[in-house]
Amino acid sequence: MRRYVLRRLALAVPTLVLVSLIVFSIMRLMPGDVVIRMVEGHAYAPTVEALRTELGLDRPAYVQYIEWVGGILLRGDFGSSYWTRQPIWDEFISRFPVTLELALLTILASVVIGILVGIVSAARQDSASDYVGRILAILALSIPYFGLAVLVVVLPSIYFKWTPVYTYVPLTTDPLQNLKIMIVPALVFGVTRAGPIMRIMRSSLLDVLRQDYIRTAWSKGLPERAVVLRHALKNALIPVVSLIGLQTPLYLGGSVIIEAIFRLPGVGLFFFEALTRMDYPVVQSVNLIVAAMVVGLNLAIDLSYAFLDPRIRYR
Amino acid sequence: MATIAPAPPAPIALDVRRLPRTLPWYVAVWGQMLRRKPLGTVGGVIVLGMLLLAVFADVLTPYGFAETNLRERFIPMSAAHWLGTDQIGRDVATRILYGARISLYVGFGAVAIASVIATLLGIFSAYWGGRVDILLQRVVDAWMAFPGLLILMSIMSLLGPSVLNITLVLGIAAGLRDSRIVRSVALSIRENTYIESARAMGSGHTRVTFVHILPNVVPTIIVVATTGLSTVILTEAALSFLGLGVPPPHPTWGGMLSLAGLDHMYRAPWLAIWPAAALSLAVFGFNMLGDALRDLLDPRLKGG
Repeated sequence: MRRYVLRRLALAVPTLVLVSLIVFSIMRLMPGDVVIRMVEGHAYAPTVEALRTELGLDRPAYVQYIEWVGGILLRGDFGSSYWTRQPIWDEFISRFPVTLELALLTILASVVIGILVGIVSAARQDSASDYVGRILAILALSIPYFGLAVLVVVLPSIYFKWTPVYTYVPLTTDPLQNLKIMIVPALVFGVTRAGPIMRIMRSSLLDVLRQDYIRTAWSKGLPERAVVLRHALKNALIPVVSLIGLQTPLYLGGSVIIEAIFRLPGVGLFFFEALTRMDYPVVQSVNLIVAAMVVGLNLAIDLSYAFLDPRIRYR
Repeated sequence: MATIAPAPPAPIALDVRRLPRTLPWYVAVWGQMLRRKPLGTVGGVIVLGMLLLAVFADVLTPYGFAETNLRERFIPMSAAHWLGTDQIGRDVATRILYGARISLYVGFGAVAIASVIATLLGIFSAYWGGRVDILLQRVVDAWMAFPGLLILMSIMSLLGPSVLNITLVLGIAAGLRDSRIVRSVALSIRENTYIESARAMGSGHTRVTFVHILPNVVPTIIVVATTGLSTVILTEAALSFLGLGVPPPHPTWGGMLSLAGLDHMYRAPWLAIWPAAALSLAVFGFNMLGDALRDLLDPRLKGG
């Protein structure tokens, strides 16, 4: 087990180096010149050259790359925003709770809906509730989350005079008000993500329910609840967990749009604003941080298989 | 000199005309679809309808997609404007029809690019194996570590919004991702004895790759491509929604829903409803068609 974890961590190193190289080159290839925009539009410095020197953009690209990566490795310094001069890491950390909360609530919503409907669908295969569940899953798969979000923002405000709350309150200040704000975006996003979970829960549970040990459980005279929930469910959850893992980058990517629509001050909005202002250090560092999180998460998910299914051993 | 006359060939007892006619798999699959997959058939009909609407958009509507009429702003559904007009008097129905054109163009274009990349990269990586495989797969790993939308947004803001750019970017992105699946299928095909015997009979690597491996990977590629279509269309819509996809005045469903136009939708909710409905219907169609094709062509890939 320990060797497996170490090997996976070792494999993550070249992956992240490549990620940093890719994202850095992309940013250097950007056509528009942020420096000109900062000087001419906003008078950040007397001359373009002065600002270029100040931001270190007059040095060769490889020096800039080494500085960026070196700063991260040696000092945990992800660089600073061109515009605000604030350290990116501080801004990221202060905004991350919003995005994390949104992601967790979204995953919670999609998992609860997906697993419940999936279980009912599988346990009552080919019944009316199965069909209703499957149609719901297909609908959820088809509606784009940003489309649903726009409709949820626009329609109730016209017909019911209801609008989502736009002034963000941190969880620590007023948990109840915070939940009131987060619940709508999380549900909107979660419902559209529940479709695939529902379908994979159903097909995986159907698979497990046909296995011998389930027949044994039935023949021992166990009630349905015990057979399905205690014997079958845990084994059927493995593909579901791996799907949630695979989807996590989608939650993080989609949070850009959800945060923009519901005006939540999270990492997604930070990233989007940086992108529109050509704030490259922010764009490349956020990309790298999030990619590192995805790599770590994938490892965590692979390790969770061993917990869910004791037959799985890593060497 | 005695010569041994070759024995005359034995008459063939098999009458080819009497054999049950077997259709090639790529034809037979549609028959199976009609008989066994009602939802897949519905999906196929939706996709077909969308294709027709997109192709005949010019004939179907009297308006142009960028034709403004400031005297007819925010008109609700009416006989002249079936789905209403937007903030500068453009006909929403017209823009939805032309939007289908762009969605399909980007969708099919990107998927075609993705299929070629995934096929070449996947087969090459699997067939060559060893260090090449390890190296290529690390690149794919790095690519998959990116949270999709973030890196696509970064690249699109670098290239600038345009139909060609978004098609290329989505195609390459999907191609890198799908090459994993093609690789895994090619890996198992490579182990077959007939590959070994083809090599032993003197087939070169190119011949083995294209004549013996490629045809066996094709069903998988078709499945991956069809299921990928809805993802590509959705991603294009998401990027256009943010203003990073297809630039105005080209109408796209994502662009019509756009973040920037949110304020107008409070006044004219149909501006949000119809593009969202069109997008959902298209994604539904492609999803159903893709699922059915997957079940019929390559049940191994069955997910949920």
